[in-house]
Amino acid sequence: MKIQQVKLTLNGVEREGACESRTTLLDFIRHDLGSTGTHAGCEHGVCGACTVELDGQIVRSCLMFACQADGAKVTTVEAIAKSGEMSDLQNAFKKHHALQCGFCTSGFLLSAEDLLKKNPHPSELEVREGLSGNLCRCTGYVGIVEAVLEVAAARARQNGGEHA
Amino acid sequence: MKSAPFVMHQAHSQSNILDLLDQYGEDARVIAGGQTLVPVLAMRVASPDHLIDINQVKELKNFGITGDSLQVGAGVRQSELEHWSELRKTQPLLSMMFPWIAHTPIRNRGTVCGSIAHADPSAELVLGLAVLEGSVTLASKKKKRVVQAKDFFLGALQTSRQSNEFIEAVQFPIRGPHAGFGFAEYGYRHGDFAVVAVAVIKEDDAWTIGFGGIDDVVRIYKCTAISLDQVKQFIDELAAETEVREDPTATSGLRRHLMRTLGARACQQAMEFKSD
Repeated sequence: MKIQQVKLTLNGVEREGACESRTTLLDFIRHDLGSTGTHAGCEHGVCGACTVELDGQIVRSCLMFACQADGAKVTTVEAIAKSGEMSDLQNAFKKHHALQCGFCTSGFLLSAEDLLKKNPHPSELEVREGLSGNLCRCTGYVGIVEAVLEVAAARARQNGGEHA
Repeated sequence: MKSAPFVMHQAHSQSNILDLLDQYGEDARVIAGGQTLVPVLAMRVASPDHLIDINQVKELKNFGITGDSLQVGAGVRQSELEHWSELRKTQPLLSMMFPWIAHTPIRNRGTVCGSIAHADPSAELVLGLAVLEGSVTLASKKKKRVVQAKDFFLGALQTSRQSNEFIEAVQFPIRGPHAGFGFAEYGYRHGDFAVVAVAVIKEDDAWTIGFGGIDDVVRIYKCTAISLDQVKQFIDELAAETEVREDPTATSGLRRHLMRTLGARACQQAMEFKSD
């Protein structure tokens, strides 16, 4: 068994740990670095609960090994807002009952932020397609879609966008 | 859902990959995006002793037009090609397919060559390479060879790659400016593997129609037709006569139905296709 040293930047902080080659990035973040906001769902790339941002792009942290993220910048749900505060998207999730058990939520938040970054004015269909890689077994998705659409509209108003 | 232990080799150059494959052969797997391989390892369908990570090999991250083909290196992510500004002009068929390939986080990590290496007969890129009559460049320590798609895909998840070879690049031939393209797919959720997918290329009266998901390999058919009705009739006859896969996700009857309806839709798209 070969132990590997892995050094990465997690939410702006340089972190280091030692793990086996087979340790996924997901398990490394949760078990070795102790950041448990990212959730382990299906662990084979279907559910999207483990979504994190790797060097600016969202990926499934269960579908890569920690040693492959050596030197990378990883952003997780913990960085979405300051500790003790909630972002506009998180508040919208709360308002629209976009979560019940909350297991899938960290993945949805990361995917929704990525969607809004690439497409600030999505239609309902685009939100549904954009989030289709994340599974929620509680809400039926209606509240999640409403929350994302509301945040898109609110951000557009804030930026004085013509789409508001 | 944890992989069995393995030794990870971080390859730093192509010759390093070839040396490692020469040394470990059967006991090694090349990992690029890992979007198929990691689940396979997690479910322990495979448990190789060695993984050769090619993500750091810069020379494999290139893609572009080489001769009359779009050549895509082993390290190129699906999302890189998807967002290439020239894709729609160069390979319209691939640009139609990309939104159907899994989901954004998977395409951000998964590679084009990785999908070809996996050889799932329902995968969009496998269908694309087959219908465009593309090829695969396989490299080993001793030699390099170019294999046509029809000789590369041997069956479901089966290819003619030898254990000491790796896919250095794939080539998607570029069709003429007057070619028309169409693509249609049905899956149970957006981003799922296709139950049936159809890709169509029309060059004047010559039609090439490829079906994914109906058999262990992509099935390619050619016909000459001067009207949409004629090509639809050809597809109706194909759907009636062809042996079609039946599995718990779909009966052969449903697949035949999808061949007809999706086939007609893709042919209409190809008929009305306007290049950029």
